[in-house]
Amino acid sequence: MIKMIVNEWCMYCGECAAVCPRSLIEVRENSLIFNEGCKDCRICLQVCPVQALKKEENSDLS
Amino acid sequence: MLIETDILIIGAGPAGSSTAKHAALNGAEVILIDKKSEIGAPKRCAEGVSKEGLKKLKIEPSSRWVTKELSGVLMKAPNGTSVWLNEEKVKLPEAGYILERKVFDKHMAMDAARAGAKIMIKTLATGMRRGNDSLIVTAETMGEEFEIKSKIVIGADGPESRVGRWAGLKTTIKPKNMESCAQFEMAGVKMDDPNSIEFHFGSVAPGGYAWLFPKGDDIANVGLGILTTETDKSAYQHLLEFVKNCPATQNAQPVEFNIGGDPVGGMLKELVTDNFMIVGDAASQVNPLTGGGIISAMEAGLYAGQVAAAAIRDGDCSKARLIKYQERCEENIGKKFKRDLKVKEYLLSLSDEELNSIAEAFQDIELDNINTAELIKNLIKVSPKALLKLGKLF
Repeated sequence: MIKMIVNEWCMYCGECAAVCPRSLIEVRENSLIFNEGCKDCRICLQVCPVQALKKEENSDLS
Repeated sequence: MLIETDILIIGAGPAGSSTAKHAALNGAEVILIDKKSEIGAPKRCAEGVSKEGLKKLKIEPSSRWVTKELSGVLMKAPNGTSVWLNEEKVKLPEAGYILERKVFDKHMAMDAARAGAKIMIKTLATGMRRGNDSLIVTAETMGEEFEIKSKIVIGADGPESRVGRWAGLKTTIKPKNMESCAQFEMAGVKMDDPNSIEFHFGSVAPGGYAWLFPKGDDIANVGLGILTTETDKSAYQHLLEFVKNCPATQNAQPVEFNIGGDPVGGMLKELVTDNFMIVGDAASQVNPLTGGGIISAMEAGLYAGQVAAAAIRDGDCSKARLIKYQERCEENIGKKFKRDLKVKEYLLSLSDEELNSIAEAFQDIELDNINTAELIKNLIKVSPKALLKLGKLF
């Protein structure tokens, strides 16, 4: 399963959630929730205005 | 706990509050919920609206939320050549007033409350299912879970709209249609003209533009939007470079930092389904050329509120009835967006050199008496591909 790390400087603007083709990201006032089912398209990582998201290394092998 | 209502609106930005106000004014029982603890904060935008737009919505400008009245637009090419347009010469889309969104958004929600809407803040919608000619939304507030059964649910929950997806609408935005934006609110900004907004085009902001929106005194929103499909750097990195190089911000200091996505691909095709409508950024009701969406969101909210209240009165909340909202949006908002989308595509196709030569050709032209056809004729002289890309539009 792919695990995402949300860095501390995330501002919960929701741009990642808006572009996720599988609608897996929930944006709350002060948290992000990644639901299961990620296919590693990495669009969320690319669009983040502050590069706050990171994929946990080797997380897709576990 | 189960609450029942005629209309539930999710998201209390300008779109949601406008919808709530007009639905309530037209006699419906309305609940407006927002996940945040403070409506309007943090802002995600540059805060510009047109005077004409506010007038159309019958909203009287208030000194509580207008920070600056503008008289012109300065457009800068990559080499610094400027073309200056003032209000008398050209209708300025997002350039009438600069708002204080934190205050404006709250006031719009207050207007909705005064019209009769019930507001619940720090209330998050967590799911939605179909009921008998209704939708049932699960929500939580301060650790308490409850349900709201509503004859019509309206999603006004921003570009990341989950509510639209729950209803089965295609609201996912492609990265090529999503401006990734970053902005500082700064003090100590020295603008060429503190009564004009500035747009900077070219490689400072690949796939978008950079802006300086004055907020009175030496204060300005300094930001930019980029397409992440056009650059490897983040919006924040581009912003740092822009602020470092822009003459106006050499002695400026930030007091606020904002980010967000701006859906600029044109209005979504499907805005309604049975018992459901979508409005504002959630429906991509954003001018694809300027990226401005406050007025179009509120105008769509006006139509949504009126159509939803009429549907409640008639006891028919089917898609066939609610489609009237979509038709009014297409007629009054979507058509113009389609034209502006073409202009944007042309603008984004220009290299820094092309932008420079266009600006040089236009900087001395007397724009006072020029009509659009002459403007385009002049443009084609320096940029022949304008004929191909824009010829049919004007």
